Amino acid sequence: MAKPKEKEIFEQLMKRYLPGRGITEKVTIPDRVSLERYQTLEYYKDQVYRCGKCGQCRYTYQNADLACSCPSGELRGFESYYLGGKNLLLWGLTSGRLSWSEGLAEILYHCTLCGNCTQQCQLEGIHTYALEWLAAAREEAVEKGYGPMPEQKRYGQHVQEEHNPYMEKHADRLNWLGDRAGNLPEKAETVYFVGCTSSYRQKNIASATFDILTGLGKDFTVMRDEWCCGSPLIWTGQVDIARKCAEHNIEAIEKTGAELVITSCAGCYRILKEVYREKFGLDYGFEVVHSPVYVLDLVKRGELTLEKPFEKRVTYHDPCHIGRHMGVYEQPRELLRSIPGLELVEMPRNRQNAWCCGAGGGVKSSFKELASFAATERLREALETGAEVLSSACPFCYRNLSDAKEENKMNIQILDLMELVQMSMKT
Amino acid sequence: MTKLVEVDRIYEELAGIVGERFVSNRPEELFLYHWDFVTAEEPGRCDFVVMPEKTEEVKGIVELANREKIPVIPWVSGINIGGVCIPREGGIVVDLRRMNRVLEVNEDDMYAVVEGGITWGDLKGYLLKHHPDLRAGITWSPPGTGVIPSYICYGMLDLGMVGGTGAEFLNGLEVVLPTGKVVRVGSCMSTDYWYGRQPFPDLSGLFIGWEGTTGIVTKAGIKLWPNLPRRDYIVLAKTVDAGMRIFKRLARAGLGIVDMCFLNYVWLTATQGVRDGENIPSEPEKAGLPDFYGLVTITGATEKELDAKEETLMKICTEEGEMALSFGDAVSMFPENQIGEFLTYTSLPIQLYTVWDFARGGGGEWVGGYVSSKHLVDVYYKMREAAIKHGMRPQFYGRAMFGGHYWIGRMNISFSKNDPEEIEKARRCLMDIDEAARKVGSFIRYKAPPWAKKRNFEKADPNTIELLKEIRKLLDPNGIMNPGQGL
Repeated sequence: MAKPKEKEIFEQLMKRYLPGRGITEKVTIPDRVSLERYQTLEYYKDQVYRCGKCGQCRYTYQNADLACSCPSGELRGFESYYLGGKNLLLWGLTSGRLSWSEGLAEILYHCTLCGNCTQQCQLEGIHTYALEWLAAAREEAVEKGYGPMPEQKRYGQHVQEEHNPYMEKHADRLNWLGDRAGNLPEKAETVYFVGCTSSYRQKNIASATFDILTGLGKDFTVMRDEWCCGSPLIWTGQVDIARKCAEHNIEAIEKTGAELVITSCAGCYRILKEVYREKFGLDYGFEVVHSPVYVLDLVKRGELTLEKPFEKRVTYHDPCHIGRHMGVYEQPRELLRSIPGLELVEMPRNRQNAWCCGAGGGVKSSFKELASFAATERLREALETGAEVLSSACPFCYRNLSDAKEENKMNIQILDLMELVQMSMKT
Repeated sequence: MTKLVEVDRIYEELAGIVGERFVSNRPEELFLYHWDFVTAEEPGRCDFVVMPEKTEEVKGIVELANREKIPVIPWVSGINIGGVCIPREGGIVVDLRRMNRVLEVNEDDMYAVVEGGITWGDLKGYLLKHHPDLRAGITWSPPGTGVIPSYICYGMLDLGMVGGTGAEFLNGLEVVLPTGKVVRVGSCMSTDYWYGRQPFPDLSGLFIGWEGTTGIVTKAGIKLWPNLPRRDYIVLAKTVDAGMRIFKRLARAGLGIVDMCFLNYVWLTATQGVRDGENIPSEPEKAGLPDFYGLVTITGATEKELDAKEETLMKICTEEGEMALSFGDAVSMFPENQIGEFLTYTSLPIQLYTVWDFARGGGGEWVGGYVSSKHLVDVYYKMREAAIKHGMRPQFYGRAMFGGHYWIGRMNISFSKNDPEEIEKARRCLMDIDEAARKVGSFIRYKAPPWAKKRNFEKADPNTIELLKEIRKLLDPNGIMNPGQGL
């Protein structure tokens, strides 16, 4: 190792890099790139071309044995389906070298917008803003008449009529509550924002969350007039419809007088917490928290005791919209660790490097093969850890992973964190 | 390839070979193969891109191309700083990245058999997971770039002092010739083992240095090495001359150095995103700043062995009036937000942003070549002078190869690839740098764009050039393999 004296000499030498004369006056690339978020493709055009198509975005860099990171690219193979390809296609578009076409739109929509690629690229402009221009490109596709994909357009229309993308009736939204629906107060301190997937598909998650809150005697309600949060619309470029959803939901929540909104769905969480305000410029006075974070807080404050053992090996899948998009990585894990008997094991690709389940960004409706491919890969990874249970904190992940599990007849139990909490609660 | 009916027919045939989803002639797909998106070289064009999964499919594609006399361009990542796989005359780009598997690792003889489209990320990831005691030589390139193109184009590995260029780490090849015939060279020619190129006539030379113009490599045997504990050092010297004196002594000191390379001040600062202008002197010695930043890596089985090597290394540096210190200590003195960038230097493959001046707009091209140690310093100063004349920042990189038997030097120029004027300026500058380096004597370009390759042969022995042409014609009678590239 370096001897102290040599270190001292080096330090002296480094001092010769006087301010304004060398490497102590470093203005790094990260320092230089400071852009607004939620802007148009045109706004980001001076960033996209900097991509060298080096392929860094395809691997979990120096983690998880450099595993693959991009479901879209891994399935389709061609350069265009990876971030590097998309960046340079957008350069072609913004520089007039390419024109909009159905093929280009198909490529840009064949992506869950999970953001794993952006975590791998350390070029600051791309690392921080690539998801912005990928979303902006979809908005432009809609403006130019090349987007969204037909299935996405269909559910967009349905959201306008029935306020959910599942082709269900709005009147059936609270069916999951059964008899419990009759006791919902109009006013409450807290709103449980159920989301469309938990309301119509993963009713198990809605029920578990509702029962936990009820069991704890919380002053909460579920809104009879909750609409789609807008997540499946925003990420497919259908911004105008999403805005209407946002305006409605804010008004509806404010009518309840709630100061806190709890979400079940990772997509709802990001939209309510950030997008309504940052993208749409809407103002509201309530706080938004994702259910595991809320429940963990109760555990920490001693309001909730988890004491029934759950003697199984569990692995946790990070939903993209709370993980990479919003930075919620540790609280769900902490909550899992607080369940007695539960053994938490990590998949090699976790946290920032987590492989996407394949559902988001409009993919589950329009690119079923991609959705199935990504979920199957994730289930395989979970099984390789020896886990008996794959847990997550998003009904859309739950749904897609469950579909792939059935399709492939895989032997692993899928449980939402709220289901695990409910099982472990003191009766 | 202008007649629509022909396009449709060829498309159908290609789809019959690789499956419809792995052939494309959509403009959006082809666009990404027309450019290398890094250099100042002109884009090309292709008519189809296909992604085969196995040798038989490559064979089928090449047979079709040979029959129809359509150009074929082997491709893995398209980044080689010389535009070597930019399709110059249309045709079929054969994107090999579905052929990215490690087929075998022979622990006894320390080699791996890999497919032609494997990337550094694939290879390193596989070894980390399945054979952590072994390692491969890796280039200073990003994980998404190709292993075999680097090996057969004389790429430099981080074991360059041990065995030279990537070409010298090849044990054997399976190649689809331009006629569609599949051949194997090396010990794999007559056995199931890929331990070396001996004792048959070494036909690997038919494919090494030809830059994908004599065949498509579908499998390769590559040497692996024990993954021993390592120590890295920064050697700091006032000038490149002084640094080179140290490096030459270190090469002969019996230290078992596995890698030894250096950056000049301008490249070091460029990778850190320092602003342009007067704060970055192109001639740092005049401003009292060191110009030589060496990275030396030693390995050893025991701490005692490493300590002994370190002692000698330090002694040589001190005797030369310069200094070395451990990599960790050196980088800890840089601002915290840049330490991570440096750490990638000892854990290849790199993040491209750590070696590229993206602040200027993502464009970069080098004039790189092999050179005698006698001339490396001169090459540096001549190149630097040429770059300064054009108002460009002279970023220089040098490396000792194969125990110090030969060296490499290259000067990189960064520019905005979205600015036609700057690209043109970079082109003129690169040509002058190239000319300046060649005047020194032993400098020969590698991975060079066509204009520089032409210069390579200007002073070459005409009989040898004739022989090379005859060999290429023999292997590729219809001239379909990557035309416009290579010789």
